[in-house]
Amino acid sequence: MNILDHPILGKVEAAKRKVTLFVNGRSIEAYEGQPIAAALMAVGIKSFRQTARKQQDRGIFCGIGRCTDCMMTVNGEPNVRTCVTPVAEGMIVETQIGLGSWREIPHE
Amino acid sequence: MNKVELAVIGAGPAGLAAAIEAAQLGVKVVVFDENAQPGGQLFKQIHKFFGSREHKAGTRGFRIGQELLAQTEQLGVKVNLGSTVFGLDKRNLWVLKDGRTEVFQTDAVIVATGASENALAFKGSTLPGVMTAGAAQTFINLHRVLPGKKVLMVGSGNVGLIVSYQLMQAGAEVVGLVEAAPQIGGYGVHAAKIKRAGVPLFLGHTITEAIGEHQVESAVLTKLNGRFQPIPGSEKTLEADTICIAVGLTPMMELARMAGAEFKYAPQMGGHVPIINDNMETSIAGMFVAGDVCGVEEASSAMEEGRLAGVTAAEYLEYVDGIAAADRKALIREQLSAIRNGTFGKAHPRDEVKEENIYGLKSSGTPSKDELDSCPGVPSKERLAKGPVAVIECVQEIPCNPCEQACPRGAIKVGKPITSLPQLTENVCNGCASCVTACPGLAIVTVDRTYDENKALVTFPYEYLPLPETGAIVDAVNRQGEKICSGQVVKVRNNKKADGTVAISLAVPEEYAMEVRSMAKGGTK
Repeated sequence: MNILDHPILGKVEAAKRKVTLFVNGRSIEAYEGQPIAAALMAVGIKSFRQTARKQQDRGIFCGIGRCTDCMMTVNGEPNVRTCVTPVAEGMIVETQIGLGSWREIPHE
Repeated sequence: MNKVELAVIGAGPAGLAAAIEAAQLGVKVVVFDENAQPGGQLFKQIHKFFGSREHKAGTRGFRIGQELLAQTEQLGVKVNLGSTVFGLDKRNLWVLKDGRTEVFQTDAVIVATGASENALAFKGSTLPGVMTAGAAQTFINLHRVLPGKKVLMVGSGNVGLIVSYQLMQAGAEVVGLVEAAPQIGGYGVHAAKIKRAGVPLFLGHTITEAIGEHQVESAVLTKLNGRFQPIPGSEKTLEADTICIAVGLTPMMELARMAGAEFKYAPQMGGHVPIINDNMETSIAGMFVAGDVCGVEEASSAMEEGRLAGVTAAEYLEYVDGIAAADRKALIREQLSAIRNGTFGKAHPRDEVKEENIYGLKSSGTPSKDELDSCPGVPSKERLAKGPVAVIECVQEIPCNPCEQACPRGAIKVGKPITSLPQLTENVCNGCASCVTACPGLAIVTVDRTYDENKALVTFPYEYLPLPETGAIVDAVNRQGEKICSGQVVKVRNNKKADGTVAISLAVPEEYAMEVRSMAKGGTK
C-alpha cells in the first residue's frame, strides 16, 4: 500500500509520474524512481524468489542492497537486487528460482 | 591513476560531517558511497533528535541530512555515488562504478562505512514478511510504501522503539513489541510513545516461530526464564503479516580490516572494531574512522566523530597547525562526551541487569508514581490547582535540552550536563505549551485544572493522521494507551515551527487531569 499522506512527510506529490511494469505477466503501476521492491510491496507482492532446492519463498529482508534476499530476474537479467534498482517503463520482472538463468526477453 | 587528497568512504552522517569539517579547513575531499543517494540512514530518520542545540536537537533527522548535503555542495566536496569501494590498502582505493573498476590513490582516508543490522534465526525466519526494522523504515519513510498492516517488532532498543512508532505514523498497527530482556533496551520516552498508542510490550519474551505458507500470517511468542531459555507451554500466537527484527547492528569494518588496521573485539560496541586513539586515528598513519564502523551508536555521535576525524585528517595533511587543531578537537570532544553522558553512551557500557533496578519506565514504558513524584519537571499539587502549567514527565537521564530553549519565560532549566532532568520553575511557567511540541521525546503536556468547573484541559503532542476536528468528541487515553474517558477537542495547534508535532487540547473530566496523556489514534479505540 502506498502511503499517500503522512503526518511528518506530507502528501506524495500528485504530479509524480507513474510507470507501468510487468510482474510475472501482471501489469502494475509504480511511481517513477521507486525501487522495484517498493512497487511490488505496494500491490501486496511479498514473495520475490524461490530457493534452488526446496523452492521456499524469499522476500525483502534488509531493504538496502546488502542481503540479496530480494533478487529477481529483471528484463531477462537474473540476480538483480530489487530493493536498490529503480523501476522503469515497461520493465519485465520475474520471480527467480535459485540463481536464475540468463535468457532472451520474450517479446510481446 | 586518479589522485585524491582525502578520500571519505561513506556519505552517511559521519562521512558527510568529516568531509565538511576537512573541506572547511581547505582539504580537497572526495566522498565515495555505494548508494544512489547520499545521506546514509539519515533520510529515514523522521523523528526529532535528542541532544543540545549544537547537536541540532529537536530537528528531524532528514532535515539534518538536507543541511549536511547543502554544506557539502557549498564547499565543493565531490560525492561519488553508485561507487562501491571494494578494496583498500594504506594508499589506494578500488572502486566499482557502473560495472568498471577504478583505482584512486589517496594521501589520507576516512572510513565511515556504518553498520549493518543483525539477523535473528527462528523457525520461519526466512518467510517473506520477516524483515529488519531498518528495511521497514526505509520502505515507509523513503519509498512511502507500507510493508504490512499488522506488524510485530522484535527488539526494544531505540531502533525497535522508533521504527514501531514510525510504522504507526505511516498507518500500520503494531501488534506487539517483543524483548528478551526483562527491561526496555532503548530510551524510556520512545517506549512511552508506543505505550500511549496502546502497543502491548512483551518483555522477557522471544519470537520462536513465524507461521505462514508463502508469507507471514502469524507469530509465536514464548516466555523466557531467567537464563533466557524458552518456558515450554508459555507460547502465544499473535496475528501479524510483518515481523520486524531490531536486534542490534554490527560495524561494517571490512575495509579497515582489509587495509590492515589493528582491531579489538568489543561486544558492547557491536563486534570487531578498529583500535583508535582519541583523534579517531587507526593504527595506520593517515587512516581514520568515524561513526558506527568504530562502535555502534547513533547519528548525533557519528557526526561528532566525523568532525573529529575531519580535523585530524586536515592536521595530518598539514592544512591546520597543531594548536588550532587541538582547540577545535577539544570543542568537538566536549560535545561528544555530552552526548555520551546519558544512560546509553559509550562511557557507560550497559551494566548487568539487576532485578531490583528494573521498575517504572524501564520495565513498563510508563513512568511509575514514584518516578513522577520525584521528577523535577512535574509541578506541585498547589501549582496545578492555580491554572495552566507544564508537566514534564522526563524521568530518565537523556542528553537532550530543547525544552530549555523552547520556553519563552525561562521556566525550564536543564543546565550542564545536558543529561540532567529538566527542572520546572512552576511559578514562572504560564502553561503556554511552547515546550509541548519542542520536546523530541514527546514527554511534556500542559494541564489546566481551572479550565471549567468540572473540566480540565490537557494539551499533548500528537503526530498521527488524521488530525481531529475542533469540537470533536474523542477517546482520551492514559499513559498505558487505555481509554479512560471521553474528551472534547478544544484546540488543534499545527505550528509550522513544530514541524509536524501538533498540540491538541482536550477538555476532560477534572478527575482525569493527571491521567489523560493522549487520545486514541483516529479519535476512537
